[in-house]
Amino acid sequence: MSNPQVELHVTGYGVITLELDQEKAPKSAANFLAYVAKGHYNNTIFHRVIPGFMVQGGGMEPGMVQKPCDAPIENEANNGLKNNNYTVAMARTGDPHSATAQFFINVTDNGFLNHTAPSQQGWGYAVFGKVVAGADVVDKIKAVKTGRKGYHDDVPKEDVIIEKAVAL
Amino acid sequence: MELHAPPHWRCVDFISDLHLHANEPLTFQAWGEYLQRTTADALFILGDLFEIWVGDDVLADPSGASTGFEQQCAQVLRAAADRTNLYIMAGNRDFLMGPALMQACGCTLLEDPCVLEFGSQRWLLTHGDALCLDDKAYMPFRALVRSAQWQRDFLEKPLHERLTLALQMRAQSEARKQGNTVYADVDTVAAQSCLETLRADHMIHGHTHRPARHPLGVQHDRWVLSDWDLSAQPPRAEVLRLSLVPGEHGPAGKARVQRLSPANAIAAKPAD
Repeated sequence: MSNPQVELHVTGYGVITLELDQEKAPKSAANFLAYVAKGHYNNTIFHRVIPGFMVQGGGMEPGMVQKPCDAPIENEANNGLKNNNYTVAMARTGDPHSATAQFFINVTDNGFLNHTAPSQQGWGYAVFGKVVAGADVVDKIKAVKTGRKGYHDDVPKEDVIIEKAVAL
Repeated sequence: MELHAPPHWRCVDFISDLHLHANEPLTFQAWGEYLQRTTADALFILGDLFEIWVGDDVLADPSGASTGFEQQCAQVLRAAADRTNLYIMAGNRDFLMGPALMQACGCTLLEDPCVLEFGSQRWLLTHGDALCLDDKAYMPFRALVRSAQWQRDFLEKPLHERLTLALQMRAQSEARKQGNTVYADVDTVAAQSCLETLRADHMIHGHTHRPARHPLGVQHDRWVLSDWDLSAQPPRAEVLRLSLVPGEHGPAGKARVQRLSPANAIAAKPAD
């Protein structure tokens, strides 16, 4: 069975195609596909952009309005997948098992985000897929101008909007 | 020289300018206690750990010219290196530390400067003396004593002679300190250009004994470590700690920087 793919159509930037690793990250992949299916990611933004690190999105509408999410999922960071350049992983709070809809795309090899121990500090961030087309789109996003907005740092000055997410 | 922190490192400590000496037992004691109990994944000592270091052969001194203080310090380092990763950079006092000491203690000698990649940031580590360009008298002296020729000649002298020379140099330096000498600080332009050349975000150094954080332009800054003198009033001792803490809004790539007393550095859980 081939792995599922999802297209992120980013207004003015282009299309990023993600391939999800259903075998190694079944829960994260199913969770992501469920949000795609119900249209959650349509009209969300990449709200946290840090060149040399990662670009994060999928949880906020333009204007930094938080979208409601489903229950958090189990952290699958111990699946052996690494937070390497152009991989996609689940974002979360300090609690390892708190990921809902937000995800991030690594824009460099972030070894220190990998799972090292089943502890609060060592859980790491669960990689569940990778960019298979549109890496240049990711490169354009990571280069946008950012600043502080309310309680949030590294917010693009001009909204980077995911117009729609489409499962292929 | 570049070091890439292994992925599991969450907490890294920096200290410098302990100027360990047999006549400063309080500083030795505080340092020993901190090394025995620190929970950091790595400890970097950025120069002038020792007030005097006349050569690694002081550790195996059959002549009895040394006091045994160096062996005591080496034991503390050895015990700490069994528990955590220990990196040592030479300063302007202890630049004769060499491979024999490192091997005896299980430590790694760092070149000056050295870049540490930790999280998504690059930290430039240096003792700092090479950047104090206004110290016009010191610069030629530094070039001389850091030359291979001078070091070879010096280390060929008998240990007791080296110890005597070192004590004389220390007495001269102490006498200078009693005067109104204004000490040079790190040159801002040199620091900035060093950061740019090595593509580093932040600098950490000791040497000047003027703990502070100096912004360098928009992107960069320079963190200065405190010296340790536990018999001063008030006593001085500080640990600079970098920790990677998962952010509330997603993964954190930038380390949090804290200045801690040795007691607090011991008590705090890593990345608490």
